[in-house]
Amino acid sequence: MARETLIPIERDLDTVDINVNVGPQHPATHGVFRMLLQVDGEVVVDLDPIIGYMHRGNEKLPENCDFRQAIGYHDRTDYLAQFNTEHCFVMAVEKLGGIVPTERAEHIRVILTELNRVTSHLMFVGAFGTDIGLFGTSFMYAFRDRETIQGFFEEITGERMMYNYFRPGGVAWDVPENFKERCTEMVKVIRSGIKDLEGLMMGNEVVLARCRGLSPTSREQAINWGLSGPMLRACGIDHDIRRAEPYSIYDRFEFDIPVGVQGDVYDRLIVRLEEMKQSARIVEQALAALPEGPIMAEGMKRILRVPAGEIYMRVESPRGEYGVYLVSTGTEKPYRHKVRGASFCNISPLREMSIGHYVSDVITILGSTDIVLCEVDR
Amino acid sequence: MQEAPAPTPGPVITLVQQALPGVAFEIVMTPMDECIVVRRDDFRRVMETLFRDERLKFDYLRCQSGVDYITELESVYHLYSFTHKHSLAVKVRCPAGDTHIPTVSDMWAAANWLERETHEMYGMVFDGHPDLRPLLLEEGLGYYPLLKSHPLAEIEEWQEDYLQAIEDAKTQMAAATGTEPVMDEKAMKIQIAQQKAAIIKKTRDEARAQGLSDVDQKAAVTAALAKFEEELASQPQAGGVAAAPAMTKVELAQAKAKVITKARADARAQGMSTEDEKKYVAEQLKEFSAKLEAGGGGGAPAAAAPAKPAMSRIELAQAKAKLITKARADARAQGMSTEDEKKYVAEALRKFSEELGS
Repeated sequence: MARETLIPIERDLDTVDINVNVGPQHPATHGVFRMLLQVDGEVVVDLDPIIGYMHRGNEKLPENCDFRQAIGYHDRTDYLAQFNTEHCFVMAVEKLGGIVPTERAEHIRVILTELNRVTSHLMFVGAFGTDIGLFGTSFMYAFRDRETIQGFFEEITGERMMYNYFRPGGVAWDVPENFKERCTEMVKVIRSGIKDLEGLMMGNEVVLARCRGLSPTSREQAINWGLSGPMLRACGIDHDIRRAEPYSIYDRFEFDIPVGVQGDVYDRLIVRLEEMKQSARIVEQALAALPEGPIMAEGMKRILRVPAGEIYMRVESPRGEYGVYLVSTGTEKPYRHKVRGASFCNISPLREMSIGHYVSDVITILGSTDIVLCEVDR
Repeated sequence: MQEAPAPTPGPVITLVQQALPGVAFEIVMTPMDECIVVRRDDFRRVMETLFRDERLKFDYLRCQSGVDYITELESVYHLYSFTHKHSLAVKVRCPAGDTHIPTVSDMWAAANWLERETHEMYGMVFDGHPDLRPLLLEEGLGYYPLLKSHPLAEIEEWQEDYLQAIEDAKTQMAAATGTEPVMDEKAMKIQIAQQKAAIIKKTRDEARAQGLSDVDQKAAVTAALAKFEEELASQPQAGGVAAAPAMTKVELAQAKAKVITKARADARAQGMSTEDEKKYVAEQLKEFSAKLEAGGGGGAPAAAAPAKPAMSRIELAQAKAKLITKARADARAQGMSTEDEKKYVAEALRKFSEELGS
């Protein structure tokens, strides 16, 4: 008997895959997001992303309110890139209704949208640092500057988060008198802030060790998965909707499209850091060209009836392609109002991106997709 | 839905026509992309050609959306080509009773989640899709929220009940006091506008359900409105602007405040103690109330207040709203169906009215 009890040690040990539930309430999931991991030891063998905890019917609700009321719902999809999302919806209404916004309004929109891109990327860099173990350092640096720019947004719109400032035909009200000086200040803040963050992140041993070569994505995969924005450009694809299908007045500005090499987590970070600099460039050019004049197109009616038709409007939001598919039947309300969330499509291949990696790396990969759960769930 | 001027095929559609000879499709004008509508039988073949053909090479699916046109459902695909930098929208329709559409998720992996979402929101079945579990909604929901047949029911129901409760309260008040419900000009205008809006909505919905064209829909609405106006004109006009009620609550409170101030000043002038002062003020107030009851003028208040009804209109409406909320909560707690719930609420309201009547 005693001999037999010793035998199992010589046999191969049977291991069992176990399920690990990450989220929905978890600091590393950037919101209310749940992953069901199946792990073999430390390695993830299966992953099931479970979303929908933040679903509020953001596509149904605007079908019950008029075109201007629907703007507010776009602030609440991507709550880190509010101006970008508003811009998309407002332009969809304008294109459908044949409304031409004024020059001044176009410039103000572009300036705010680009500053907003910077705040969004700052948020990413801060949170991503926390994901990979920089415990708050990157967060503090990024938020120092993000806070400054958000204060500036608050001066203009009166709101910290849900700006609701763009309107079909222009913007809600004119910017303060010291707009130009304040914007120049903001650009300075951004430039010096990026310097700090680059010093902190790019040569950082923790960042290099944890991100380089992690989850590389090929160009074909990225396209087939429907990735967009920095996730797509990190794979070396020179695609930016601002350049590929210029909207608003983006065709007038000079800016580069930073691309990565192999689409790994490190490239995604570098692309975003570089994009902030390009946004600062665009802001400067738009400021120099900012004309005086009206901020609202003439002949706008109090109740906006958009002629029957449909449009799929898309913009380059900080997270990628944010699209609005709008169907109007000629009434004052949208008939169909579909939101194509950039994060929604960027996170859909999370399973393919994560399988075969360590659990701790999955958190890094998830962080590098820069998701906003309100946009994923809508 | 589109009534565009005769659509002409753009460069992309010309390419599609070359790549797919013999496939009939409809061209739709949109402000940004070229758009085609294909038949469901051709759909799979069209999409495969769009994906593989060297001239087209649509390698990127940017968006897939469902649309509910009541008699039929529509699935819209927005495609982009990184090779040729062109884009195209493809639409396919299916009747509301038979919502099967072949999947494209085997070609574009991006379609996986997009189709899953459209499935749970519209009930479209994408044949061949690997995983049609609900994505954003809970499992076993039993309805498709983005269909037009699923309005924001809860809210509308609640609003209807609440407005009805107020209306009932008004008529009850009128019955109790034996007077016509007071309605000023503004309220009347609002009411007429509301009635008109209801008529427009109803007529349009009916017209849509019959599948009338936009022009016919408009004509139907105009006719219905004209009829309503005629009816309105033939009705005797309501008594116009009614006389204002003798004394509003605010006025009453102000008058009372005046009495109290005066009484207190008197008491102080006479050098009364604090206790006596209180008593004096209370007495004065009682006197004031008695005067009001008697309807006699004189004293501080100049006008008389009417007999106060047992419960003010607003209070009544509020009480009813409370009752409705409670009844509904009860019904839900008991797990009643929507129909039973409605009945239960109606029953509770009826009881309440009876109690009030007695």
